[in-house]
Formats: sequence, C-alpha cells, structure tokens
Amino acid sequence: MTVLARLVRLGDVDLLLHEARDEPSRVRLRKLGFQLGELQGLEAARATLAAAVAPRWLAIYERARHRYGVGVVPVRERVCQGCFVTLPTSAASRPETQGAPGLCECCGRVLFLGSGPER
Amino acid sequence: MTLGMVPSVLDPSLYIPELRTRNRQAVLADLVDLAHRAGVVREPSLLIELLALRERLGGTAIGKGVAMPHARSLTVIRPQVLVARSHPGVDWDAPDEMPATLILLTLTPGDWSEEAHHGLLGRTAAVARLQRNRQRLLEAESFADIAGVLRVVDP
Repeated sequence: MTVLARLVRLGDVDLLLHEARDEPSRVRLRKLGFQLGELQGLEAARATLAAAVAPRWLAIYERARHRYGVGVVPVRERVCQGCFVTLPTSAASRPETQGAPGLCECCGRVLFLGSGPER
Repeated sequence: MTLGMVPSVLDPSLYIPELRTRNRQAVLADLVDLAHRAGVVREPSLLIELLALRERLGGTAIGKGVAMPHARSLTVIRPQVLVARSHPGVDWDAPDEMPATLILLTLTPGDWSEEAHHGLLGRTAAVARLQRNRQRLLEAESFADIAGVLRVVDP
C-alpha cells in the first residue's frame, strides 16, 4: 500500500471519528435510527493505521490536520479542495501512486488525486 | 438531473434490482464496485474498509427491512445514493432483527460537512420509513419507478 493510500485511510477514519465523537452528530444519527457503539474499536483501528505511516508523512499529515481539521484533501480540476488554489500542472498530474504524495504548496495539505476518472 | 445545475444523487447505473449475495460485506463490495465503475469512487478498496469500520461502530440497519450503510470519504467524488434490493433479505444486525430487503448506500465526499451528509441521510431515511414507499421500492419494475419514489432525496 502506498504512503498516500495509508494517509487517505487515516484521513477517512479521522472524519468518521470526528463524527462519532461529536455530540450533535451522534444525536442526529440516533434520531435517524442508526446505532452507535463504543469508540474504542475505531480508536484502536486509527492507532494501527497511524503506526503504519512513515513518521515523516505522519508528522506532515498531523500538522495539517491540527491546523485545518483535515490532513488530506482531494484535487478537482487541478484545484486543491482545501485552500482552492489552482495547482501547477506538474503537481496536479503527478502519478502519486508511484511515489511520494504531493503537497499543496499553498496550504501544505496532502493532495489526493486518486485513480478515478475525475482529476 | 434535477432543475438547475445540481446533479442528481440517483443514477440508473447505480441500482442492483436483485442482489446475488446474502453476505453484508459482499453486498457493500458489490455496491462500491458499481460506484467505482460509474466514476463515483476512487480507490474502492479504501472505501470498502471504511464502510466495514462504520458497520463495526454500530449497525446501519434502521429496521423494517431497510439498511442504510453510509460513508463520508475522501475516496468519494460526488454524492450518490445507491439502491439494491434482496427479496430474501440480507442479515444486517437490525434492531428489529428483520433482514434487509432494501439497501440504500449513501456516499458523500470527504469535503462535505457532517450536517450536509446527515441531511442527505435524513432525506433518504424519511422516504424509507414510510411503509408505502418501501413497498413501492420493493415492487418497482424499473429504475424510473425507484427514482420516482426517491426524488425528494435530491438536494
């Protein structure tokens, strides 16, 4: 698994953890009929995922997450969806799965271009 | 398409009239695969893992034969509600122990707010709670009939 895939997994689990810890969110989900159990299992999964990320990348991710709330952001039509700056063509077309993840030069968040049809 | 420039969260290609599997994890994998082929999802394996974690956090069956698995994920490109049916039903650990005959997978991008994600979930759940809507969804012969029942889900 690539560094980026690990960071995306971590980013997704952090989104879920935030939702599960936030009391207004929990109330809304329960009103909709969903069950929410204890968070220990999810927190343990988060710890395992974080331990699998190289320390340098984890530090970059955590710095961005503490500053902005999310450490990884998608890229759409060459625009960083964190700070909405248009990325240089080279950054927006880098085949991220073959190397280190790209970082937004403006906000420092990890860029997720993905392998889907929309870039 | 709805009026204006907002694309619909419903898509005829994201509909499984009758599931071939009765295993919850396999159902989620089938739906995510469908979404990936339709260009809704990047890195489908990551989304399948996230959906499994969500299921472990607490069941997403809301009872009366309805399951509403859901995810807000960086892997999701655009919001979408996928519809699948299983007439024998799939065990989804529902509070009323009824197997899920109607599965509504709600996906939203990671940059959507929790409120917006819950809004889409709420509109979908409101439709699925009405017995006559569930019956129409289960008896629908085409996706047009399904979309007719679920049209209020669109923003």
